[in-house]
Amino acid sequence: MSRPDKFIIDGKRLDGRLPDQLRPIKIEVDVLKRADGSCYIEMGKNKVVAAVYGPREAFPRHIQDPSKVVVRYRYNMAPFSVEERKRPGPDRRSIEISKVSKEAFEAVIMKELFPRSVVDIFVEVLQADAGSRTACINAASVALVDAGIPMKGMLTSVAVAKVDGVLVLDPMKEEDNFGEADMPFAFLIRGGKIESVALLQMDGRMTRTEIKEALNLAKKGAMEIYNLQREAIMKQFVEGGEENA
Amino acid sequence: MPEDILVDIKKDYVLSKLRDNERIDGRKFDEFRKVEIKTGIIEKAEGSALVKLGNTQVLVGIKMQPGEPFPDTPDKGIIIVNAELVPLASPTFEPGPPDEISIELARVVDRGIRESEAVDLSKLCIEAGKNVWMVFVDIHALDDDGNLLDASAIASIAALMNTKVPASRFGLGGDFELPINDVPISVTSLVVGDKFLVDPSRDELSIGNTTLTVTVDRDDNIVAMQKSGDYLLSESLLDQIVEASIRVSRKIRENLLSQVSKC
Amino acid sequence: MRKIVLPGDLLASNPKLAGYGTYVEGDKVYARIIGIYEQTDNSIRVIPLKGKYNPSAGDTIIGIVREVISNGWNVDINSPYQAFLPVSENPEAKPGKKLNEVLDIGDAIIAKVMSIDPRMRVTITMKDKICRAIRFGRIVAINPARVPRVIGKKGSMIKLIKSELDVQIVVGQNGLIWLNGDRKKVAIAEEVIYIIEEEAHTDGLTDRVGEFIRRRKNVQT
Repeated sequence: MSRPDKFIIDGKRLDGRLPDQLRPIKIEVDVLKRADGSCYIEMGKNKVVAAVYGPREAFPRHIQDPSKVVVRYRYNMAPFSVEERKRPGPDRRSIEISKVSKEAFEAVIMKELFPRSVVDIFVEVLQADAGSRTACINAASVALVDAGIPMKGMLTSVAVAKVDGVLVLDPMKEEDNFGEADMPFAFLIRGGKIESVALLQMDGRMTRTEIKEALNLAKKGAMEIYNLQREAIMKQFVEGGEENA
Repeated sequence: MPEDILVDIKKDYVLSKLRDNERIDGRKFDEFRKVEIKTGIIEKAEGSALVKLGNTQVLVGIKMQPGEPFPDTPDKGIIIVNAELVPLASPTFEPGPPDEISIELARVVDRGIRESEAVDLSKLCIEAGKNVWMVFVDIHALDDDGNLLDASAIASIAALMNTKVPASRFGLGGDFELPINDVPISVTSLVVGDKFLVDPSRDELSIGNTTLTVTVDRDDNIVAMQKSGDYLLSESLLDQIVEASIRVSRKIRENLLSQVSKC
Repeated sequence: MRKIVLPGDLLASNPKLAGYGTYVEGDKVYARIIGIYEQTDNSIRVIPLKGKYNPSAGDTIIGIVREVISNGWNVDINSPYQAFLPVSENPEAKPGKKLNEVLDIGDAIIAKVMSIDPRMRVTITMKDKICRAIRFGRIVAINPARVPRVIGKKGSMIKLIKSELDVQIVVGQNGLIWLNGDRKKVAIAEEVIYIIEEEAHTDGLTDRVGEFIRRRKNVQT
């Protein structure tokens, strides 16, 4: 992939989107039989599946916390998910992504309800595109709801990038690779509103004002994704009802 | 990792002080600890810096060697940041491969250097597509009294500013100073409810590792951010921390430049 | 269709109404799990649609012995926590009788949750007339969150199944259900339980279940 001369032509991005437009998103709930909760998401060309197990007994025992549940999060890329085969197993990038994603969920899971146990969140990137960590968090959030895990609210994640000096929502690969900045967010959504920031990273160059603008753009995108997450969860019950009506 | 019990005991004290809007060491909420920098202390390294941030101590050494460039940047040098939290620095550090904490630390420091384009990598090309200079930034934590990240970031840029490219050793002409374009400064704040404490000490971190790091370049641009820890951050606090970080970063940079003779 | 809520949904602005499946923050009542919204005059609760069994004292449960130890049995109760059945809480244990002759690994039991300490160590007892070692009949497993629907309001659903099919049923709060009786009738009861599990969120379930049982009985006779 080479750097495009221009990222925005006549107000439109390389894939035809407007700066504040998301890539197409598809969400399916309860896709894995064995897991306590699961979700499959496509976000652009990302194809991601999340499974939640637990709360279950924590092993090895020394990881148990007598006062609350331990949350584990594993972001993993399949070797075939990228252009050039990725060596299996965790690399530094996925360890960091797993850490900050885990912490985002720890902030919303009601951990004190299940002392000594563990909630495992496994997310597999089957096909990677820009923003795979955001797709993974969106899938994990739905899978946690599907597993019946008590939470303050749901997490919804989206990134904002800066290209040609313009802030763009949910960056595609070119914008991610060659843009001037990339800023992934995850928000706690409660009572139908964005309430706080659960995950925040940034690299690139932005002014304080641009950071505020990026936040607002991300909030707009997150609300759209949140509605899709909700819809996907509710759909399973509607279908069940119709079948037997 | 078992917590240090003495640190744990400090928690109540830190919180009770906070209720009176005070920090246990008497600092203002946006005040860094004293920064002391010594450069060039490891002769075997191409560059080095020992940074004391209060009682936190970090040593950074720079090693360089020629190597193959990345395919997507054939005419640019390579910079690699690595951190080791060795057991000597804290009772909670354990030997073994880098854990998520040291990996996160190295990657956040790396982003600050990379995104501010602190090192002019285009001047580190030996033969395009074949041979470029590789810069290894190795962060060695010696004493963790809190906020290893900022101490590491300061030590890294100070060490880079102190670095001589060892060209003669590899028969590639005369040695030259590593070209430096910017001095990124990372500012980490501990978030406690609706307050934040800049440059938290180990005792203050007993409340929880709930931090936000904001790295600022010399033009007041934000070049890296990292929220770390299981907490929720309000939008207004985010903006306050960004504002404070920009302000604090200017002072630290000035201080750093006055101590590192070059530049 | 009954109203389904998700974690974080705002349910009320009066903290006094907060019931099961909800939490209060800043004087507001929110849902904390996915479930069915239920409102009475003095409370709002969320009946879970998913999730693990979290033991509570007094619950009837069905468990399987996983380990025989010197002073009792460790029992898997289909929850994040194993339960402990002390020798003193099993009336079948007699001096001179080996513990694994009373209950061995793999044996199923009906027991009651006696106590839970703050670290979620669960102790169970068999000193209740409902309790027994299960040596015959069938055990079926459903999502524990759907147990309240299988029981029904004031036990209406379970009464319906029992009276229509004349089978013995013990519903464990942990999602395991013991059925005993005529083999064909037990098979119908099992099917009925799965239907209730699937359609727990729909209205008019009791009526549909009654109809289903009568239809199936006619087919068989």
